Amino acid sequence: MREGLIKMKILDVFKYAWGGIRVRKLRTFLTTLGVIIGITGIVALLSLGEGFRIEMTGQFEQGFSLNTLTVTPGGGFMGFGGGDDEFYLLVNDTERIDEVEGVNIALAIISKQVSISSNNSPRTVSVVGVNFTQYSEIYGSTFLAENGSIPFSPANDTIILGAGIADPWNNGTLFASVGDEINITWATGPISNPITKSYIANVSTILKEIGGFGIGGPSDNQIYIPITTAQEFFDSEQCDQIIIQLIDSNQKTIDSVTSEIEELYDDKVSVMSPTALLSTISGMFSIIELFLLAISGIALLVAGIGIMNIMIVSVLERTREIGILKSLGMKDRNVLTIFLGEASLIGLLGGVLGIALGWGVSNVISLFLSVFMGSGIGGGFDMGQQQAMALSITPILTPTILLLAFAFSLVVCILFGLYPARRASKLNPVEALRYE
Amino acid sequence: MKDTNLDLLKNDSIEKSYVVETQDLKKTYLLGKVIVHALRGIDLKIEEGDFIAITGPSGCGKSTFLNLIGALDQPSDGKVYIDGADVSTLKGNQLANLRRKVGFVFQFFNLIQKLNARKNVELPLAIMGVNKKKRRKEAEELLRIVGLGDRINHRPTELSGGEQQRVAIARAMTGNPRFLLLDEPTGNIDSKTAQGIVALLKKLNEEKRITIILATHDQNITNEAKKIIHLIDGRIEQTNFERGVN
Repeated sequence: MREGLIKMKILDVFKYAWGGIRVRKLRTFLTTLGVIIGITGIVALLSLGEGFRIEMTGQFEQGFSLNTLTVTPGGGFMGFGGGDDEFYLLVNDTERIDEVEGVNIALAIISKQVSISSNNSPRTVSVVGVNFTQYSEIYGSTFLAENGSIPFSPANDTIILGAGIADPWNNGTLFASVGDEINITWATGPISNPITKSYIANVSTILKEIGGFGIGGPSDNQIYIPITTAQEFFDSEQCDQIIIQLIDSNQKTIDSVTSEIEELYDDKVSVMSPTALLSTISGMFSIIELFLLAISGIALLVAGIGIMNIMIVSVLERTREIGILKSLGMKDRNVLTIFLGEASLIGLLGGVLGIALGWGVSNVISLFLSVFMGSGIGGGFDMGQQQAMALSITPILTPTILLLAFAFSLVVCILFGLYPARRASKLNPVEALRYE
Repeated sequence: MKDTNLDLLKNDSIEKSYVVETQDLKKTYLLGKVIVHALRGIDLKIEEGDFIAITGPSGCGKSTFLNLIGALDQPSDGKVYIDGADVSTLKGNQLANLRRKVGFVFQFFNLIQKLNARKNVELPLAIMGVNKKKRRKEAEELLRIVGLGDRINHRPTELSGGEQQRVAIARAMTGNPRFLLLDEPTGNIDSKTAQGIVALLKKLNEEKRITIILATHDQNITNEAKKIIHLIDGRIEQTNFERGVN
């Protein structure tokens, strides 16, 4: 007799569980599929989110102008909500802002969507009317010429192209190069009866590739014309934005200038630092991320219910087998472990495949984003009327994400496997053996 | 562990110790809304080395009796002592442990289909926590004893009914059980094969002194039994002590 040491080894229990999974390959795969989808979603989102955060930090590190502020009309964020439609910023408002203590340069920006055409087909881009000298003073590290030079006393028909505009397909087929003439067309008035204006501009400069998001500064997917030309062409003294360069980047200076300008305009403008802008954008991104995570969570929940369902069927199907195991002296605990073992093996499998697939999906999404946004097809998307944003996110898989995804898939499977496993372990051996 | 009271009971029994002892054993259960009196009071003492055949018409309580003395089920009234331990006082794990002293063989073999012959025989040993090498050795030896030395890697579906039953007998014998319980062991195999099984059981009983208790309709088996207990309506109708009397 070996009464003293009647205790089944955990490895043997798991081996037995594995056998149960192996004989039902298709069913196991279908059960696992739900887990795979859920984990794929979670991994893709988290790794993209992580990549986004790293990209943002990179923005700060690569000479992001921390000593700048952006003034836009309207009290809300980037003109959203709370805005007063009757209020405009004017180009000469820079004179008022210049007076504020702590302000070094105040620079007005007019930006509009226009259609441009060269020998190549026309495209819609955002044009920025700005004083080139001051602009390059504020954004000295990004507003740099690749071909030609930045003209400091430009002719009226001068135009500077972002790298993405000049070389939109990234394959050497240029839209335009220095010295080319470009036709700029602007449509205004009601959509049913638009008034179009146009003029011929001369390409003086192609900018160096900037990359990144281009938040709050020059971007690869914009064209630049002198502010005076913009005022004349668009026939308007209104500006969309005033960029301020501060004397330093102390939070104190930022705060005092911000509140003084807000006071100056009776809170009808919003003053935003690039840091705040980035954190607002990342906040928005977090909300989107959370929402998508919730969807993945629901996928996992459904997967869990699927697992429970399959396992209940499996327990019924194997009632007789459970009866046999019990008649051979298997303890309730071991029967429980066999079924929980099967559930956790499904979790393990789903976790591994989900992580691999999630990594793949996040890379595909990143590729998709960079193709669609980065090369400027459609000119990126418009942030607050002015800055086009080029997205390029490289997904990053951290050990934390790996661990989290893995733990989650295991927990879901074990949690939903618990009830059927308990049911199996509590079966009466005599009834189980009689089960057909 | 929980086996202490087993030992206590064993030491207390001053009389000759029985492998199985039942006292006024009763079992009733509900079949739909009808109360079925499966056993109406069975007193029986089974000694080591016995070869007992329990006979009787179907529904007389043979299987119920085997389930009770195999610790698979609890009596409604009366006592079952297995190796001196009172089954009704045991629960869960203690019952599971007690079942390791019993080797069960069923009419429909009840082998695990996904495991081959050797692994089926190893299973009770794995449940007991015996290491791989030892249980493999024991399983192979038992399969040789039941005459399946050359079919150890076959799955149940690749074996004939008689061979499957031999695997089941080998499985029942693992871990030196106190006795074998066989419920209609030849009920599902042809008579010629059945003779082989009977010969095997006789050999195990005579050469290895394994206690055998079986329920059967098969004349071949009752002819070999040392004791025949005839059940009718949950009661012992007749006990024959000599071989081949019935």
